[in-house]
Amino acid sequence: MAPVISVHDLRKTYKKLDAVKSINFEVEEGEIFGFLGPNGAGKSTTINMICTMLAPSEGSIMINGFDVKKQKNKVRESIGIIFQENTLDEKLTANENLMLHCRFYQVPKDKREQRIQEVLEIVDLVGQRKDRVETFSGGMKRRLEIARGLLHYPKVLFLDEPTVGLDPQTRAHLWEYILKLKEKEGITMFLTTHYLDEAEISDRVAIMDQGEIIAIDSPSALKGQLGGDIIELSTEDNQKALEEIHDKIDGAEVSLKDDTIHLKVSSSDVFISSIIKTLNIPITKLNIRKPTLNDVFLAFTGRKIGESDES
Amino acid sequence: MEGILAIWQRDLTKFFRDKARLFGSFTMPILFLLIFGGGMSGTMENMMTGSMGAAGGAEFNYVEFVFPGIVAMTLLMTSIFSALSIIEDKDFGYMKEILVSPISRVSIAVGKMLGAATVATIQGIILFILIPLIGLSYDYMALLQVIPFMFLLGSALSGLGLLFASFIRSTQGFQMTVQILVMPMIFLSGALFPVNNMPAWMDFIVKINPITYGVDVMKKIMIDLEGVSPVVREAMGLDLMVFGRQVSVFEEILFILGFAVLLVLLATLSFRRANA
Repeated sequence: MAPVISVHDLRKTYKKLDAVKSINFEVEEGEIFGFLGPNGAGKSTTINMICTMLAPSEGSIMINGFDVKKQKNKVRESIGIIFQENTLDEKLTANENLMLHCRFYQVPKDKREQRIQEVLEIVDLVGQRKDRVETFSGGMKRRLEIARGLLHYPKVLFLDEPTVGLDPQTRAHLWEYILKLKEKEGITMFLTTHYLDEAEISDRVAIMDQGEIIAIDSPSALKGQLGGDIIELSTEDNQKALEEIHDKIDGAEVSLKDDTIHLKVSSSDVFISSIIKTLNIPITKLNIRKPTLNDVFLAFTGRKIGESDES
Repeated sequence: MEGILAIWQRDLTKFFRDKARLFGSFTMPILFLLIFGGGMSGTMENMMTGSMGAAGGAEFNYVEFVFPGIVAMTLLMTSIFSALSIIEDKDFGYMKEILVSPISRVSIAVGKMLGAATVATIQGIILFILIPLIGLSYDYMALLQVIPFMFLLGSALSGLGLLFASFIRSTQGFQMTVQILVMPMIFLSGALFPVNNMPAWMDFIVKINPITYGVDVMKKIMIDLEGVSPVVREAMGLDLMVFGRQVSVFEEILFILGFAVLLVLLATLSFRRANA
């Protein structure tokens, strides 16, 4: 399958600063691609270049088969963008905002009504269609922006920090909508977020730091590079259980701390079933802790996300 | 084309929805008319009577001459300040939505320009309602003829506002700069008082000021020149000379049209390299 986005030797140089230093990556059709990095890593610069908002100093970007430098309007038609900040016109109603978007993107006149209805259904805002945007809550505005970004059936949807400034419940809801989109529409998504747990839904993530991409893989593979998972286990007789594990299971680092047996394994998926099968002693407590993307981020950049200066 | 229409319509919808702005735009021109028309007419008419004798002065009505000027001034203020919507759009993020869409950059500039010009023309027409109330009478045909010209002048001036809005990022900065620009443009245009017998450097400003020609065209269309004595014509600056020859209305319209086109092109360039 041909990649929807392919970036080659992309570079952006300001007078004294190399904001983006020759990066390469590809995004496959239908995948969720997470783009992570601390503030000032060059994420926004990269996205702005991909979205035709900023001219690259060097390199090439192809989106949906169109060259970002030479076929700006074709690229613009192929992408939908949900910006970090609100870009709705709050004095207008939801319907007016969506209608303007249809006109900007030349959605055929006879299809507008149906499409507006369709995207409003996806984000559950059908009842608010005639309301002014200024009366909306933060979460509703975000949902409306997502709906708007979908109106012209883009090949790629860019989501730049889509959940920033929202409460945890609204955030969770928003991700439900986004996942629903992926399932129903098979749309390719390019996403940046500060909340690394949210990046877990990505099929692949790229970690950017100081203008370079330092890691690019699936979240599980990245976490796999850090070493294994941790299984925490309590039984009715820990000593006996410990012996049994020693006898029957290979490849695990076993230790007993307080009342819990810790097993460090390469992959908990394999181990957990064999442990449950082999142990004759009833298990009272079982906990599997996988390394999180936060651990990955820390390992690659040497700091936690959001720790550096504002960009 | 559709993009131009969409941008134009959005600005108009927002204008009619903003109650405070609507109120202001109704009252501001009325205020100007009361202050300049009512306040200055006594002085001006006395001066005319003094220079022409009682017979000539009696038929002279200053308000009739200043009214087209005040309409032009209203056009100027509204057109230029409407460009503020561009800065607002940048501040509130909407400009990004426009800039990442496939609308051509010319359409953005033209849409914005026509939006401002329409609002300005509407305000100018509102002033027409006052004509009978202040004891004036203009030919209906002349008023109908002047409306398209008002739209053209409004377009040219909003183009100027657009250009400024593309350089200046803050609302305050824009207001400050435009204030400084607008004042001399009004006073040195013949809108409120004749600009005859000025010092050479001031006369130069008068002659490069597009408002001068705008005001002149409006006066020439609206005022029945046949019925005005040559003395009054000269005193009111209606014999506008450039390089020692009298300019025709046609030339003036052409000049303003050229001015409008040039400004739209410049504004388009600024949108092209914009990174809002």
